[in-house]
Amino acid sequence: MKKCSFLKKYLTLIIVLGACVSCIKDTDFDQATPITLTPIMEVNFVEVQETSTSFLDASGTEKPFISDLIVLEVLSSDFIHDHLTKAELVFEVTNSLNKAFQIKMDFYDPADMLQHSFSIDIDNSPSHIPLVTEHTEVFEAMSLQALKASFKLGITITLVSSATGSVLTPDSEGNLALISKGILYLEYTQ
Amino acid sequence: MGVFVSLHAQNKQLLYGFKDVPQQILLNPGAQVDHRGYIGVPLLSHIHFNAGITGFSAFDVFADDGKDFSQKIRDVVYNMDAKDFFGFNQQLDIFSAGLTLKTSLEEMLFISFGMYQESDVFSYFPKDLAVLAYEGNHNNLNRRFDLGQLNVSAEVLSVFHLGINKKINSKWTVGVRGKIYSSIAQASSTENNGSFRTVQGADNSLNHIFDLDIKLQTSGLSFLEEPNANEGLAVLKKRLLFGGNLGVGIDLGFTHHPAPEWTIDASLQDIGFINYSKDVKNYALDGYLEYDGIQALFPEAVTDQTAQDYWDEVSTVFDELFEIDSTTTAYTKWRPIKLNSSISYNFGRKTDKECNCLDKSDPTFQNRVGAHLFAMKRPNHLQWALSAFYYRKFFKGLQLKTTYTVDAYSFKNVGLGMSAVLGPVQFYIMADNLLDYQNLAKSQSVSLQLGFNYIFKNNDN
Repeated sequence: MKKCSFLKKYLTLIIVLGACVSCIKDTDFDQATPITLTPIMEVNFVEVQETSTSFLDASGTEKPFISDLIVLEVLSSDFIHDHLTKAELVFEVTNSLNKAFQIKMDFYDPADMLQHSFSIDIDNSPSHIPLVTEHTEVFEAMSLQALKASFKLGITITLVSSATGSVLTPDSEGNLALISKGILYLEYTQ
Repeated sequence: MGVFVSLHAQNKQLLYGFKDVPQQILLNPGAQVDHRGYIGVPLLSHIHFNAGITGFSAFDVFADDGKDFSQKIRDVVYNMDAKDFFGFNQQLDIFSAGLTLKTSLEEMLFISFGMYQESDVFSYFPKDLAVLAYEGNHNNLNRRFDLGQLNVSAEVLSVFHLGINKKINSKWTVGVRGKIYSSIAQASSTENNGSFRTVQGADNSLNHIFDLDIKLQTSGLSFLEEPNANEGLAVLKKRLLFGGNLGVGIDLGFTHHPAPEWTIDASLQDIGFINYSKDVKNYALDGYLEYDGIQALFPEAVTDQTAQDYWDEVSTVFDELFEIDSTTTAYTKWRPIKLNSSISYNFGRKTDKECNCLDKSDPTFQNRVGAHLFAMKRPNHLQWALSAFYYRKFFKGLQLKTTYTVDAYSFKNVGLGMSAVLGPVQFYIMADNLLDYQNLAKSQSVSLQLGFNYIFKNNDN
């Protein structure tokens, strides 16, 4: 009896030790490839809030256009340069002035060379109901390179005469609002 | 969700109460000691290694199943949550020894001392940041990306310890161990708060809400900047020998035999702290900003401020938001306190067939069966494990212990430990998660302890 249990003990030990002999099965460690992440970031872009007085000079007469220049240092950053694969600028313009406009966006490089340009036509709102115009500018391939080369954005709002539009005065009802965001398609590999 | 196997970093359920292995006394200073003394073989008396991760295994990612590797990584990331963690723990005895000061069986004082080096890395999985990296905030409007999930700590330290173990009577043994910690290098970022959210804006399409409260505390990392590698190494050696950031701590423990067959024991380890004052560099990112875009101001129309000015302002605000404050303020950290406790039943004394009486050459119980509880304080949770164990003395020179451990994730952790004595040399090896050893790639945790000691046996043992 004692001998038997003695054998059993050794047998158990051998079996257990055998189970300890480990191995790695059914795996392929060569498949490890760099992981590519493609997050999409939404970031705020420019906003414009203007009433009729913004478009009038000191004497109360309409200016042909108003403009501003925005520095977009972020576009020339290394991160954007290396990882941006596509971009969309999504604009939503709400006009309740009885005046048509053309909003022009000009992208300039640091040497003030024009890299990219587009414009959005805004209808006048005869009854001052907010009219919403949407525009999405997609930057891919050549235009993406142009965007990455850009440093400044010129915004020009040109007043456009139209059949039903009126001449703006300080008392003109309504306003012109532009909101926007950028959708940045990023890609980085680790 | 995948099958979870827990990480047992620092749970040494096999070593705890394994009285044939001298190093058990490091887990319970009040453990029962059956030998007169020991000297650990320098650098080889206790080698402990444990690495583990919850939430996935290497097999999930590297299985030869023809699936796209990137997709598998993505699946793993999306299956994990912020409670999953990664841990690594390593201990190496530099030297250790113990001796009995009084040899009277009923009352003996056992002194043990030594020095070990320990590394510990622990990190929770910052799920929200991973999702942000994978998806961005697109399609995640209103989602609160929690920066508090960022929780990482790492430390390398050496510990000098001296323990006293006193057998009061046949029923009680108590012990205490004093420790001096010398932190070689430490970095932790465990007290983070804040979030990043993108919501629909009032004045513009979106509104980005940055609420940042992130801290990183480091000490002893200046050797990384040391251009001369040898000098860097010299600095590290000095810190190993009490030249680092110092701390003190104690371990407490007892063993109680309410009856000869029954054993109840418990210990608390690392009730202590380290004060980090040398070579400290702390970084803090603290700020709140709601950003709703660039307002185009037509200078002719309103004011003299141009959009350039406005942009400059925005840049300044962002620069301030992301400005990292650096300080060298000393800080104190508690050591992760650990609890071990077990209850066991001893049975099966050897009998001498000739006289049909107890074998006088070895009057001890040959079997022991019991339950063991381990708990450890982690930054965000209490890590715990419950084990059932069976100890068997095969002969004087060979003892085995097997454990079955359950915890929050795993119900299939079987471990085996062995202690063998050849002459005065004692060797032990212990490993758990043995079922996973059939295919290590499926294991989420690998744990191994081994060591060699020179033992002075009791005359009667």
